Amino acid sequence: MNTKYFNKITTLIILFSFLLLGSCKKFLNQQPITAVGTDVVFSDVASARAALVGVYSRLVGDQGFGIRLSLYYTVDNDEMQGPTGASDADRRDIARYAATSTNAQLTNPFNQLFTGIEYANICIYNIPKMGLYTNGTPQQIAQLKRMYGEALTLRAQFYSEAIVNWGDLPSHFLPASVQATSNPFPRRVGTDTLYNQLLDDLKVAENLVPWCDSITAIGDVLDERITKGAVKGLRARIALFRGGYSLRGRPTATMQRNADYLTYYQIARDECNDIINSGKHTLNPSFKSLWRDQVCAHAVTDPQNELMFQASATGFSGVEDTKLGYYDGPAVTNGSTSYGNKSLNILPSYFYLFDSTDLRRDVTIAPYNLVVSGSLLTKTGQAITALNDGKYRRDWSTPAIAIASYGTQYLGYKWQILRYSDVLLMFAEAENQINGPTAAAYNAINQVRRRGYGLPIATPNATVDLSGLSNSDFFTAIVKERSLELGGEGVRKFDLIRWNLLATTITNTKATLLAMSNLTAPYNTLPVKMYYKNASTADDVTLWSNSFYKPAPSSTPTGTTSVVWFGSAINTTALSRFATGFTTGKSELLPIPQPTIDANVNFPQNPGY
Amino acid sequence: MKKLIALSVLLVFAMSGILAQTKSKQIKGIIKDESGVVLPHATILLSGTKTGVQSDSLGNFTIRIPDDSKSHTLIISYVGYTAQQVSTGNTDLVIKLQRSAKDLAGDEVVVIGYQSVRRKDLLASVSSIGAKDLKDVPINSAAEALNGRLAGVTATTAEGSPDAQINIRVRGGMSITGDNSPLYIVDGVQVENALSVLSPQNIQSIDVLKDAAATAIYGARGGNGVIIITTKSGKPGKLVVAYNGFIGVKNLSKTLAVLSPYDYVMYQSERSRGNSVDSTNFLTNFGSTWDTLANYKNTNPVNWQDNVLGLTGVTTSHNLSLSGGTKKNVYNFGYTYNDDKAIVMNSSYKRHILNFRDEYQISSKIKLGVGARYTHQDVYGAGISSDQGTAYSRLRNAVQYRPFLSANELIDQNDPLADPNPGNGLGLVNPIKLANAEYRKHSTDAFSANANITYLITKNFTFKSTFGYDRKSIIDRKFSDTITPYSIITGGAKPILELDTTIADTYTNSNVFSYSLKGFKHKHDFDFLVGEESYDLRTTNSVSLFKNIPSFTSPEAAISNTSLGTYFTGYPQLNKTRYTSLSFFSRLNYSYLGKYLFSFNVRSDGASKFAPGKQWGYFPAASFAWRIKNEKFMDNVNFINDLKLRVGIGSVGNNRINDYLYLTTFKNDGSYYYGLNNQAVMAYYSSGLVNSDLKWESTINRNIGLDISLFRSRVDLTVDLYNNSSKDLLLNVPIASTYGYSTQLQNIGKSSNKGVEIQLNSTIIRNKNFSWSANFNISFNKNTIDQLGTNQQYFYPAASWGVSGQPTDYIEKIGSPVGSMYGLVTDGFYKVSDFDYNNGIYTLKSGVVTDNAIIGTVQPGSIKFKDLNGDGSVDLNNDRKIIGNPTPKFTGGISQQFTYKHWDMSLFFNFSYGNDVYNANKIQFTNGYINNSNQLAIMQNHWKVVTPSGATAQWINSSNQVVGISPDQLTALNANANIWMPIKSTGAFYPSSWAIEDGSFLRLNNMSIGYSFPIKKLAGLKMSKLRVYLTGNNLAILTRYSGYDPEVSVSTSPLTPGLDYSAYPKSRSFVFGVNATF
Repeated sequence: MNTKYFNKITTLIILFSFLLLGSCKKFLNQQPITAVGTDVVFSDVASARAALVGVYSRLVGDQGFGIRLSLYYTVDNDEMQGPTGASDADRRDIARYAATSTNAQLTNPFNQLFTGIEYANICIYNIPKMGLYTNGTPQQIAQLKRMYGEALTLRAQFYSEAIVNWGDLPSHFLPASVQATSNPFPRRVGTDTLYNQLLDDLKVAENLVPWCDSITAIGDVLDERITKGAVKGLRARIALFRGGYSLRGRPTATMQRNADYLTYYQIARDECNDIINSGKHTLNPSFKSLWRDQVCAHAVTDPQNELMFQASATGFSGVEDTKLGYYDGPAVTNGSTSYGNKSLNILPSYFYLFDSTDLRRDVTIAPYNLVVSGSLLTKTGQAITALNDGKYRRDWSTPAIAIASYGTQYLGYKWQILRYSDVLLMFAEAENQINGPTAAAYNAINQVRRRGYGLPIATPNATVDLSGLSNSDFFTAIVKERSLELGGEGVRKFDLIRWNLLATTITNTKATLLAMSNLTAPYNTLPVKMYYKNASTADDVTLWSNSFYKPAPSSTPTGTTSVVWFGSAINTTALSRFATGFTTGKSELLPIPQPTIDANVNFPQNPGY
Repeated sequence: MKKLIALSVLLVFAMSGILAQTKSKQIKGIIKDESGVVLPHATILLSGTKTGVQSDSLGNFTIRIPDDSKSHTLIISYVGYTAQQVSTGNTDLVIKLQRSAKDLAGDEVVVIGYQSVRRKDLLASVSSIGAKDLKDVPINSAAEALNGRLAGVTATTAEGSPDAQINIRVRGGMSITGDNSPLYIVDGVQVENALSVLSPQNIQSIDVLKDAAATAIYGARGGNGVIIITTKSGKPGKLVVAYNGFIGVKNLSKTLAVLSPYDYVMYQSERSRGNSVDSTNFLTNFGSTWDTLANYKNTNPVNWQDNVLGLTGVTTSHNLSLSGGTKKNVYNFGYTYNDDKAIVMNSSYKRHILNFRDEYQISSKIKLGVGARYTHQDVYGAGISSDQGTAYSRLRNAVQYRPFLSANELIDQNDPLADPNPGNGLGLVNPIKLANAEYRKHSTDAFSANANITYLITKNFTFKSTFGYDRKSIIDRKFSDTITPYSIITGGAKPILELDTTIADTYTNSNVFSYSLKGFKHKHDFDFLVGEESYDLRTTNSVSLFKNIPSFTSPEAAISNTSLGTYFTGYPQLNKTRYTSLSFFSRLNYSYLGKYLFSFNVRSDGASKFAPGKQWGYFPAASFAWRIKNEKFMDNVNFINDLKLRVGIGSVGNNRINDYLYLTTFKNDGSYYYGLNNQAVMAYYSSGLVNSDLKWESTINRNIGLDISLFRSRVDLTVDLYNNSSKDLLLNVPIASTYGYSTQLQNIGKSSNKGVEIQLNSTIIRNKNFSWSANFNISFNKNTIDQLGTNQQYFYPAASWGVSGQPTDYIEKIGSPVGSMYGLVTDGFYKVSDFDYNNGIYTLKSGVVTDNAIIGTVQPGSIKFKDLNGDGSVDLNNDRKIIGNPTPKFTGGISQQFTYKHWDMSLFFNFSYGNDVYNANKIQFTNGYINNSNQLAIMQNHWKVVTPSGATAQWINSSNQVVGISPDQLTALNANANIWMPIKSTGAFYPSSWAIEDGSFLRLNNMSIGYSFPIKKLAGLKMSKLRVYLTGNNLAILTRYSGYDPEVSVSTSPLTPGLDYSAYPKSRSFVFGVNATF
């Protein structure tokens, strides 16, 4: 090869080498364009807030409180039961305590709770490390502190929800990116250890998150985000779980509580007492208005701040909305087409737990379905085994749902995680446990009762006020009052477990249902049929032409239609599927989803499964 | 990088000049063999120049030579014949070539990555298909033409839609979860999914590189084989105008038989028994007295399949090409128009392709090639399949919708009797109405340009630089009107509009130096190549989803005025990525005496998909070939013309994963949000658990092959054995989900593919008037998963159809092939004898296996499953196993070509043996899950629960007890029952062995008869060639498969192959076409 060519080649090679290698490293270093790294997200308040919104978002959707956590996992209890139909390895089996580890509705909710925990961990890990957290303006610091506290609170919410459903769980208090490589197969940690951490976290959070009336002072907008009352209320609730019964120990587990349980009742009492004394939260004067004009109206303002912690839905999809009012509540028929699953049925025994003058019955229970007739929604009364729950009902929606939109399965209803009345009742319960039925305990429970009967909350009323009860009778009253006040709000099953009353309550409920079916006394004088008024639009007792408490008239009153009430249908339709698979020592927890066990060799199944 | 491109472009233009044309004249001739048989595609080269042409299919050629006083010489060569030199004294030549004893095979050129080699010098396993084979298949996609033609290459059409994805797999694919598509190189430039943007008529050759000896030069992208496509270029000479066109009709090749109106009503009556609501509805819908039901025997059935997917399709194609050039400049220009009205209602396809290619010899040292291509394609219609799940499947409406019309009901009216609120949103919609309510238009605009410049530095030393730019823009418009399930479930029964736009820009550049020294000291041949390549892909994807569009808005109005609707929360979504890679590669070929051939490749690839430090991968390969025929001892073995042994080993890779996966990324794309004061607030969310250790998937590829050519190249046989083992496969490994993510991408899997390929080409008869040649290929491949995640023996990919609570139907398990079908084992149905009968109640005898956990209460006639673990009851946890294998034992094809005088004919069969197909349609179309749904005719003799007089013979009471008539009566009633009673619970959808069917088939894929007009008769028409032909596609199939077609795989996931669920059915077509050259 002669020099001329050699030079040419050399020049070309050098040229290319220079151009390529010079930019080679840069050429291959491509950074995300529409996605960003941790450093960008946690560089300013607005982006960090968007990350926190991501944590909140894990509360809702089909796999969160949108339907599964709120409506699948909370039945059967002594208030209501899941849908009719054959065993389905799905929601029906969960309701009947017959779920197995391959049940289709376990994996995704389980995973979503832990995604929530991970997203919270990312915020908890990064927000305090932000420059603005220490060097920002006072307002930036206050906002970031609140967000840090919110993330701690949300983590506690996700964790406690997972614990009450599944028991011992791995400990994840750091982001996965920090932990997962060194500990790929984390072991289950005892419930009490986890609860202790959550209680400590919430103690920290209390001092970071302002009360609801101080939110605007730090430049934030008052909305569904957590305020100090929610932090303290959740801490009280978790303290009661910590101090209550649960299926402790593996592989053979029993329902037990720890000897130090009073310590935790004290925490619950003190937290609730703080909230009560703060005066920041009160009861809405009307129980019906609370649900109809506040919750179902998608109201933004809450003058009493009774709704302390809500899982806030939006978007009309399975991602971030809820199916409240579609899966449960009254269905609506338009011509030959019907919308809504009416999948939760109130138990006859729960219907009759209410006093006839307790206004909460006709809010908690919607004993009808809806029919489109012209511009009206008229009601068709339902048989006693087909009563719907009523706190989230589509006919109360504001704005009203357009007929064309009836097929929509997402109504934007916000699931109520914590209400002030729950705080009052937790206070009464904890106070009674520690100090006995004091005046403060009576004051708390009686406020709830007076509102339930439509009476002025602050005015003692001899008819409905409780008084003069023994310590244990007061507890029994609490057990009942929580059901009357909080029915259908997803707390009953877990209350019964922490009191270790789930097994006996299920047994008693079955006996009651059988007696009702057989018309045994005291159910022998109650109506075997109920007659609802045709074309009525009433959403309360005036829908019916006869009394719930007296024998049915012998002939059909004019302008009415009959439905089956007391009688054998209670056995064949309700009792025959009620909690059929319940086994104490097992059914207090759900089975660990099979994919979780398959993916983690250190994850044993729950007892009995 | 930009600087580099700019500079190079400048360079190219600087070097281009204006070329003076010289005077020329035309020489014509015909080329025949010694017996007078014409030789098509012989090469005619003007000696001392680069001017060359090929003879046409009738042996005729024309070539332009300089019109000067000098004498010129033509060199005529043809594979298997001794080259001949002919002087150009005459202008009308008749040339007879002599067969050569040596070098019969192997002079044809094969492109193997940055260079071309003669087939005889090939060290690698390469399969090729030429324009001649493509011509016999008048179809719109060249990918279809690959099906069954080449050993080791499978081209499966997912379904029958005009734009169906054709999955091409070379030797089974290496990746478990990744994309196993091969790499496509068109005229030296990488083009994604190239076969869909090229017109088959425009393709000169397709070479498929199968083993590492050839693919390693493509390094990280060559792991799944490389398909090299060379498009037609012009030839020196006068302008040649060619027209190829065809018109054809298509129809549905098979319909599924369903129940008659009477049988349908009878079953609905049965189904309603024991349920007061259903019974009342039945009476309202179908008649209140039993006796009147017999009237349905006289009801005219409506065949919805014929109405919706059995239309007559019409396909037309026009291809015009202009080519020609001078000694220095050759060009080719083509235009192709396809119009395809498919057999499915509202489904159609239109495509325009413009292509241009020019090669320009700037000087004796510099040659410039430029090419450009523009494709516009519109696909209309929602078709049949849906990736959104069972509620959105369309085929079920065409099969299950009530098979008759009520009085005064119009055919496109919605069914007033349909179950308004069935489980899982499975309501049936009038299929005609649905097809009109789902507007889809999918448009693709693809533009690409490429340029290459070759610089002959010295006689043996060249430099070639290639640039490519490709822009693909896809707009997808989906309008779902009020009656569609999508609108009802998520849009409040108001129309929904989705507009998706994807734009992908690709920039490629490669620079290659090659040095070639032949016959050094008469013994040594060297080829050396070194090069560099860069690749830059930028994609932008945006998705807009609108709701609340006013009812009665037309799709066109909604698309042109999106402000009629409002955005769904979280939309519009935007996603942008950029991927870059940089590679360096080298190859050394050495041959000693033409007997011992060695080749070494190495490539290093850097990709932006991996973390700094993990970006580079190295892929070496070595191969050796021994031309045994050239040994002395073979001299006297005359019946063997050529015999070559090839051995190769090499490493290749795969990096088809998403971008930025090694970085912690937060997305804010609208997927997650939260309602604050009833307004959606968008969230930043962590989209996955980052794995910063990600690296390439890699495969060690071992191949041994033998090429034999016998009897003067009348028989060519190639046999290849390979053993490919892949490691570091990227798996979405299930991790402890308590970390907040259910999976993480890890380099952890191992798999292997072992196989044998045989390709046999033979010319059975060749004489003056008649020739018969046949090609046969067969491939055996065994795919095995060798390793999964840590402690992981298996995992179940997500089910792709069915209802909520559907168990998974596939398993990926160590020791089994990818995508094994998994489910319950069917065991007939329960008989009366399995039950005790007391007081009218049937209870299962003790000791009889129960499957009540699957189907609910078990009764006589219930489907029965095997109790695999012997615990007395069937459940999903313990009683499922692998029930189907999606990979065939062997596949292949036989093609035969005949010519008789001016007639030609070809027959092409392809086959597959030993694979299973998961007929999920059958599961859905035989169950009674929802009210008023029709069933396949195979359910006609199902277990009956109604007596001939209309009495209920068997039912389940409110206490879940089975009540029935006496055992004798029940047995007598069901004496002829040959299948279970349709299942009504969600268990109706569970995968079972009954749905796994043998997918073996032998298909007469293609038959073509053509006639070429004698060239003399054409002279007056100024035509040099005119051929007319008639072709039938998909003419007949021999299979035991009961569904529409066994060649089906609707799932886009490689983990769930062989699923037949709501596939767009395949059609049969008859095509008449013309090939004309002017």
